[in-house]
Amino acid sequence: MTGVDGSFGAFVTRAGAAGRLVVQPRMGMSDPRLMRAGLVATRDAAATTVGTITLDSYTRVGDHAAARAALRDGLDLNGYPVVAHDLATTAGVLDGVLDARFPVQVRHGSAAPQDIVAVLVAAGLHATEGGPVSYCLPYSRIPLRESVLNWAECCMRLAAVREHGIEPHLESFGGCMMGQLCPPSLLVAISVLEGLFFRQHGLRSVSLSYAQQTNQAQDMEAVRSLRQLAAEHLHGLDWHVVIYAYMGVYPRTPDGASLLLEQAARLAVCSGAQRLIVKTVAEAHRIPTIAENVAALELAARAADDEGGTAAVAATRTGIEDTGILAEARALVNAVLDLSPDLGVALVRAFERGYLDVPFCLHPDNPGRARSRLDDRGRLHWSGIGSMPLGGLVRPRPVPGLTAAGLLRSLSYVERRYDHAALERSATGQPAVAAAGLIGDEPVNIGNDAARPPGPREHLASPVTRTVLTIQHRMLDAAREYLRGEGFTELLPPVIGPVTDPGARGAKQVDVDYYGHRYKLMTSAILYKQASLTAFDKIFCIAPNVRLEPLETSSTSRHLAEFHQVDVEMAGATRERIMAVAEGLVSHVVRRVVTELPAELESLGRDTSAFADLLDGGFERRTHAAAVADLHGMGHDQNADAEIDWVGEAMLSHKSSRPFFITDYPKGSRGFYDRENTERPGFLRNFDLIAAEGYGELCSGSERENDYATIVTRMRETGENPAKYGWYLRMVRDGVPASAGFGIGLERFTRYVAGLDHVWQASAYPKVPGVVAP
Amino acid sequence: MELTVLVSSVASDAHTWNLVYLQLVLEELGHRVINLGACVPDDLLVAECLRARPDLVVISTVNGHGRRDGRRVIGRVRTCQELAATPVVIGGKLGIDGPRAKDHRAVLLDAGFDAVFEDAAGPAQLRSYVDTVLPRLSASVTS
Repeated sequence: MTGVDGSFGAFVTRAGAAGRLVVQPRMGMSDPRLMRAGLVATRDAAATTVGTITLDSYTRVGDHAAARAALRDGLDLNGYPVVAHDLATTAGVLDGVLDARFPVQVRHGSAAPQDIVAVLVAAGLHATEGGPVSYCLPYSRIPLRESVLNWAECCMRLAAVREHGIEPHLESFGGCMMGQLCPPSLLVAISVLEGLFFRQHGLRSVSLSYAQQTNQAQDMEAVRSLRQLAAEHLHGLDWHVVIYAYMGVYPRTPDGASLLLEQAARLAVCSGAQRLIVKTVAEAHRIPTIAENVAALELAARAADDEGGTAAVAATRTGIEDTGILAEARALVNAVLDLSPDLGVALVRAFERGYLDVPFCLHPDNPGRARSRLDDRGRLHWSGIGSMPLGGLVRPRPVPGLTAAGLLRSLSYVERRYDHAALERSATGQPAVAAAGLIGDEPVNIGNDAARPPGPREHLASPVTRTVLTIQHRMLDAAREYLRGEGFTELLPPVIGPVTDPGARGAKQVDVDYYGHRYKLMTSAILYKQASLTAFDKIFCIAPNVRLEPLETSSTSRHLAEFHQVDVEMAGATRERIMAVAEGLVSHVVRRVVTELPAELESLGRDTSAFADLLDGGFERRTHAAAVADLHGMGHDQNADAEIDWVGEAMLSHKSSRPFFITDYPKGSRGFYDRENTERPGFLRNFDLIAAEGYGELCSGSERENDYATIVTRMRETGENPAKYGWYLRMVRDGVPASAGFGIGLERFTRYVAGLDHVWQASAYPKVPGVVAP
Repeated sequence: MELTVLVSSVASDAHTWNLVYLQLVLEELGHRVINLGACVPDDLLVAECLRARPDLVVISTVNGHGRRDGRRVIGRVRTCQELAATPVVIGGKLGIDGPRAKDHRAVLLDAGFDAVFEDAAGPAQLRSYVDTVLPRLSASVTS
């Protein structure tokens, strides 16, 4: 421990050793009497506190004349103008308040803080916050290069306070770039890099920040990553982590605001942070009163105590997952450190080269190419990484083009979620945290917008939609080209008929009144495909299908109630022959898109190296039984007699780098038209084609049953009434060729090729099950 | 008709999400946006107005200094003869006292703004204001 008793860093370390989280307000008033009263109230709150003097905006931008003018005119400022007030005034504010039991920190936000640091040192203070990047890019228009020089000078000035017998402390604001929508790995990296900058310029006691974001589990992982990197890079220094209660759009209800603060306190305690800067219930509306600040400090302290205090809690915490935040942050830190042994030079170069790139930051020195997004669980992801050295670590997913409404939805995600939770609590009497699933990572029933299509205008006007539909258009062209080349004739399929495929997995059919007869919208072209072989030996169609899938499929990202299939049927083909057609078709389509539309794929963030294996050779074949065994080996409880369930399908798909076939499904899992294996009764001569990378099933196919008696028997076995299938059975009785065929879901195939999060992104007029849409 | 709209903060205001949002709103209306970003000094705002000669200037500020900063900057803008008739509007959180706000609107209109959108105003109000700028502009072009 380098600090003497009265230093800010030593105070926090002592509290941490005693198992107490230090809580701190963001408080600043222009009136010195009020400022003093605020500090006294903070000190006397029922919590372990340190004091804050937050400066006003004029002082932050160095316009002390404007601050003085406002004081003279009796206008309220949004903070304490420490330079405009004379030193005696500030000494009066601190007299009898500032001592070893109550350190006070100055918070400002200036990229040129020389005046501020000079005055705070003169006033007997020794702790402040900021950083060359974190106080420059988001808040000022001073060039980064100048900010670096300013901060280097201020670090040295602050470090010199050590000569007066107290260890100065500097906190990086790097964990709060833009307050919201910055992926955690970049927050962690900037905090660590600023900590290293502080050390280079003489500081020995520093804190690294992390601002609470939109998902508690992700935040836990981020803070653990921050502590890990700090331990690796800041050895020999006195350091701790400080959490900022949410810095974005705050809940408007008092209960929602309190819930969010309690959550921040839990984050701090469980992640091993030692200090928390609170927000108040007034946050959404105005600058809070002293009483509101005290209430927030005490609420946060209670929440921290309820969680068991800081002592060793974090050390014993298990179950923090690793989604790659540490690896990303480490890659960013290392790439910047490699640019120059001088941290300031390295940081300037890093932004010039785009190694660091803060989403949505308007500063002229920010590259502005990186983009982020919120997923439907409130997790932050990269949707574009610009030139950041994260290529091997993250796979950016395209999102529909950002609209004003979409931005607002993302920015207000936390506000809506916590306000909603507060209302639920008052309505149901349930603990709100449980009611809204705020602790865990469960999908919540609000704020799910990222998983849902926007309105038709927004969707159709989105550059992402246009790019995806352009790719889909090329895929259709390539599919038709391939099938034509293989001698297939395209037929236009019927949309309604007296009967359709009985379907599987619980989808419902849609009835249509056809002159008093109950007709169906087609759920599959299968029956017509078999009949069509009466005209041609090789046929295909691009068939619309309507299946009212169960509501629970609305969240799978891969079901649409209305979709299209590339439906292929070939007389006299064996399963192996038709699988070769499916394989050739998929390869040809992917190859043409990769070759002809590289810019479109690039703009969606789709890395075409994902298709290297696919284009390199044939697809693996494995039996249903082998797939089930694989899943059991992975600990997944797959029923051996049934269709591979969605979770299992996703697990297998994630493990593979190219599409693969699963063959020989058990008889009970599929419809009457898939032919049973005569040599292996109970198993079907069928197959599914599963996409790689977790995109799941693309295609189902089979050798077809064409024996009348067998079909009728199979219909009865599967609970179908043969009487419904009159026209089809008459065709079969009079003879249809033996055949094999398959159908490829066009939107799913597009999703895979374009690397989309959701299948609805591959439809101009998406109909997600249960969601009313045009 | 496409307008050139200059979006800006004021000198003491570091907030930018409001500016990112307004840019998207205006672009969705089909207009071209020059976004000056945070902490724009009065001199820079005036210089950019003289350079780009925007059809509309939208000043957005949420740090509570809007009344004071707004009066000062509109004074600077209006003293330039070339900018005397340029539509300039301001919106956001204009004072630090929230719902208990004094009447900032009258003060700022009096100081020379063409419209004032206080915190509760939605984008619809800005959109409809922009619609009123269009015919004025067409009239001045044809006259």
